[in-house]
Amino acid sequence: MNAPPAVSIQASHALGAAFIFKKALISALVALVLFSLMIGVRTEAGPTGQLIYWTRFGDLAAMVATVFGGSIVVELLRQWWGPVGTIRVVPTNVKSALALARRGIAPVLLIFTFLVPVIFYDQRYILDLGILVLTYVMLGWGLNVVVGLAGLLDLGYVAFYAVGAYSYALLATNFGLSFWICLPLAGILAALWGVMLGFPVLRLRGDYLAIVTLAFGEIIRLVIINWQSLTGGPNGVSGIPRPTMFGIPLTPGDDGLAAKLGIEFSPTHRIVFLFYLILALALLTNWVTIRLRRLPIGRAWEALREDEVACRALGINTTTTKLTAFATGAMFGGFAGAFFATRQGFISPESFTFQESALVLAIVVLGGMGSQLGVALAALAMIGGFELFRGLEQYRMLVFGIAMVLLMIWRPRGLIGHRAPTVFLERSQAISSDLVKEGHG
Amino acid sequence: MTAPSATPLLAIRGLRAAYGKIEALKGVDIEINAGEIVALIGANGAGKSTLMMTIFGKPRARSGQIEFDGHDITAVPTHQIARLRIAQSPEGRRIFPRMSVAENLQMGADATESSEADRAAGLERVLTLFPRLRERMTQRGGTLSGGEQQMLAIGRALMSRPRLLMLDEPSLGLAPLIARQIFDAIRTLNRQDGLTVLIVEQNANHALKLAHRGYVMVNGLITLSGTGSELLQRPEIRAAYLEGGRRG
Repeated sequence: MNAPPAVSIQASHALGAAFIFKKALISALVALVLFSLMIGVRTEAGPTGQLIYWTRFGDLAAMVATVFGGSIVVELLRQWWGPVGTIRVVPTNVKSALALARRGIAPVLLIFTFLVPVIFYDQRYILDLGILVLTYVMLGWGLNVVVGLAGLLDLGYVAFYAVGAYSYALLATNFGLSFWICLPLAGILAALWGVMLGFPVLRLRGDYLAIVTLAFGEIIRLVIINWQSLTGGPNGVSGIPRPTMFGIPLTPGDDGLAAKLGIEFSPTHRIVFLFYLILALALLTNWVTIRLRRLPIGRAWEALREDEVACRALGINTTTTKLTAFATGAMFGGFAGAFFATRQGFISPESFTFQESALVLAIVVLGGMGSQLGVALAALAMIGGFELFRGLEQYRMLVFGIAMVLLMIWRPRGLIGHRAPTVFLERSQAISSDLVKEGHG
Repeated sequence: MTAPSATPLLAIRGLRAAYGKIEALKGVDIEINAGEIVALIGANGAGKSTLMMTIFGKPRARSGQIEFDGHDITAVPTHQIARLRIAQSPEGRRIFPRMSVAENLQMGADATESSEADRAAGLERVLTLFPRLRERMTQRGGTLSGGEQQMLAIGRALMSRPRLLMLDEPSLGLAPLIARQIFDAIRTLNRQDGLTVLIVEQNANHALKLAHRGYVMVNGLITLSGTGSELLQRPEIRAAYLEGGRRG
């Protein structure tokens, strides 16, 4: 019974082999032409100014061979793992195992995250890395509201991170307010700035919106650098108070938490506390986002991303919808900023460059816009990956770039491009995978 | 047939609207009585869609008056017009492609703050009218066929339980058979629910057969009006819209 399809698969494989070979050959040829001068011949000015050169054909051959081999590997992987629309030859039991893994990954990840400080209690490096990853998870989830749900491309998200960080730093150092009072204030102030950015860009979309938000991010940074009397300019703000556990400081003194609990003081306590603090903040972001998605406002955000004209025809106030998206996203950015300030104890404008915005946006896009789990995985991969490849030094960015390109080839809609519907009328049915497959809409 | 009431549900007087310097509506007068189907026909660029959008406040009227149920709505903000239970199915369907059919329908009810019971009743009405949508509830809007998308667009507009339904080119790009189904559904809505409908169409034959009354629009002005069958008999209508400009 299975004979005819098997034949056709074989035929397509045979066709594929010739095609792959041809493609790899062309790539190798292009590499040969390009690299023959760049790598094959090395020139340098000699001691008396004359030109000396030598050839490096060995390196050149290695390079061309790598391109040839790499091209075949990429093409094979593409055909095997395939972009949208390719027929995948995956056995059913593997498929069902994958489906199970997909469903289990979120709870497993969450439980593991909760246990990280227990498992890695003695490894400060892992704990610090975990805090960093969680900060970016939170930033990603915050930006996801604006970019993923409302579809407003925001390249200046770091501005709200900065507003949050400076709000806490300045309020705490100037007025001695505690972290727990400043945290909501930082969120409110950031949300206010979100609305301030929102107003002028109400009528902009896509590229134009991206440019204005990019400029907004830079404006905030430049204001921070130049308003020396308030922000300390490039010197930043130092001596930012560490967070307390609801008023009990995590210090070795008599009134410290360790003394009160009657256990021996260890600096790790603070790290563990910070870890759970950012975890709680990130989970709050996630919870609020999930709740909002099920409310009319969240649906309105998504509808706005899909079609603004239709939204207006349905009586949705597009102005407030956009402004609430900006404000909500900014608020979470502000929370993350306040956390960043209290963790570092010192902040300066250097922490809030465009690169941060780009990184967070990359996390959202790679994760699959609108997908909470995808964003978390992307943050883990990106920030964790950065650390993992630290040994590669300058090749780190190269590996990172290649990984990004490959991911976009295989999963053009991000790691988790699937979007779970939020409205269930009647009984929710099991949806067969070909019904929800991404189209070209 | 429902007896048209004395005061019109929607009355438009001397309406003018423009895109920058280009005047699209040059003083339009239209009346729609409760329980009527009114067709607005005209060539491309006559201002039919502009009229519909101006009723919704985008673009704003330069002068003239739009009265709905005795209230002047000329200056009412766009998003509040839908709350008066005027629903619109815009040209080109414009459903939300990445959202499920259920979510699309839900969107129609969200802005009007209707009660849970109203919502359920509205949904049931839509699904009886378009049983195809029931099968597709969990599917993404973008994966529907053109006809199903049109059904969804109308269904979404119906979810706000409107008193006036405005349809912009519901037969656009649909196979004749599917277009007929859509028109049948509109007729059913009018006869069974007493829904007032304003339908903008290029397909003059279908629209005029369906409608109680019709208006013909040329270059931003209403040039002819009458009952559907009257208009269908007019030689200039036949020549311009029904026989592809052939002299008959």
